[in-house]
Amino acid sequence: MTKMTVSRETISWRWVTDRGVRLATGKATLPVYHMLMEAGLPGVVELVPADGSLLVVLKPGTQAPSRLLDIINSQSFDMTPARPGREHEIGVVFDGLDLPDVADKLELSLPGLIEGLCKTQFVVKFLGFQPGFAYLEGLPQEWHIPRLETPRKSVPAGSVALGGAYCGIYPAQGPGGWRLIGRTDARLFNPVASSPALFQPGDSVRLVSA
Amino acid sequence: MMVVFKPGLMDLVMDLGRSGFRAQGVPEGGAADAPSLVAANRLVGNPDDAAGLELCMWGPELSFPDGAFVALTGADMAANLEGVGLQPGRKHEIRPGGILKLGKTDLGIRTYLAVAGGIDVPRVLGSRSTFLPGGWGGWQGRALKAGDILPVGSSTANQVWECQPGFWKQPVSELRVMPGPQLNGFTDAALASFLDQMFVVHKDSNRVGIRLAGIALDYRRGEIASQPVLPGVIQVPPSGQPIILGWDGPVTGGYPVIAGVISADLPRLAQLAPGDSLRFRVVSHEEALKDWQ
Repeated sequence: MTKMTVSRETISWRWVTDRGVRLATGKATLPVYHMLMEAGLPGVVELVPADGSLLVVLKPGTQAPSRLLDIINSQSFDMTPARPGREHEIGVVFDGLDLPDVADKLELSLPGLIEGLCKTQFVVKFLGFQPGFAYLEGLPQEWHIPRLETPRKSVPAGSVALGGAYCGIYPAQGPGGWRLIGRTDARLFNPVASSPALFQPGDSVRLVSA
Repeated sequence: MMVVFKPGLMDLVMDLGRSGFRAQGVPEGGAADAPSLVAANRLVGNPDDAAGLELCMWGPELSFPDGAFVALTGADMAANLEGVGLQPGRKHEIRPGGILKLGKTDLGIRTYLAVAGGIDVPRVLGSRSTFLPGGWGGWQGRALKAGDILPVGSSTANQVWECQPGFWKQPVSELRVMPGPQLNGFTDAALASFLDQMFVVHKDSNRVGIRLAGIALDYRRGEIASQPVLPGVIQVPPSGQPIILGWDGPVTGGYPVIAGVISADLPRLAQLAPGDSLRFRVVSHEEALKDWQ
């Protein structure tokens, strides 16, 4: 496997309130996330990856650990996945309200769109928006589709949707502006489980027509 | 046990929240004015992280069939016990069958009630705090209703504070902030206006976000990628009206962040009422840490 590295110049940082350090990690977000998890720096409460950036949450009232700044300023990051993620197959009924509209916009037939979605190897980039809501990356560029202009006030739990570069599944009912393409029975978030979110950053996901 | 006779506006079981789950999309939550909950717990001899009630603007009527020791902190809610006014910042004994009535807040909006032994609901993800947006944690994932019967734990022999007079007396008119990651993307006029103007707290504010109304702030660089955020972060959506993310706010956000309220001022943010006006003052990280106790 080819090893890719990202040079140290690419990572700058900024404060997010007084207890968060936001690293501009770009494509190295997951490798840096895994590396800092392994490093187990004192004073670091949590690490939160997002779209091209990573937040290091500090214990309130503490300075940023000097080792954190040393690490981000001095190292190159191995871009090969530090740990193999889990693989998930999610059964989806493709009957979303926006499915015909999405197919139209992408100039695809319905079966063509569904086949393409099922062939896509998605990777969990990060979680956010709602507990357990994963941003799944892997759609071809020409399938990136803008969000709805007016978000729906309520989207049912289990809705599978497309928004921008991402595919996502709503773990709970709530407002949502992504285009609905289907639904799943999979339980994506269980607050009483020790690891509450089904998808973790770095996992891979495939949609299967149910 | 504690029985709800009549609920208040929004009575929520809260402790100091849950950490370690932001990467899974779960914010810390927990008492918005955490130092006030800690003070109430210490007054009745509870550990700092025992669960109590966070009451907002007007409070419930509660009965204690077995009796209880209680303390109130945060905003004064004109509490009375069998018609006798109950002083905040002290421990009070409620005799079996006694009924505690809470009124309305005058200054500040959040009041904390600690009961000796703590409210004994199951922990979810390590905390007894209610997470209202997800409908879990706390008492059945929701605000209290009439007829709810909440279990109270047995009291432990922690050291008890004699009295804690520092309940909410000062109006909040200024919050200290640190510059945010997208500060440079705002127009000069927006930056000047952000620091010069008084914003007004909008009535559509809650534990997820505190909406402000004022002169719109212009961001000149289009959309940004979803980035990780924290309570206190001040996002500016296309309307130009800022939103301060609250304790139950999302862990990522897609709007530019102009600044962030420092941790030491989050308890003050928790006491802002709809219609209150406030301004922001920029401080350095060193200054932000100085006031952290």
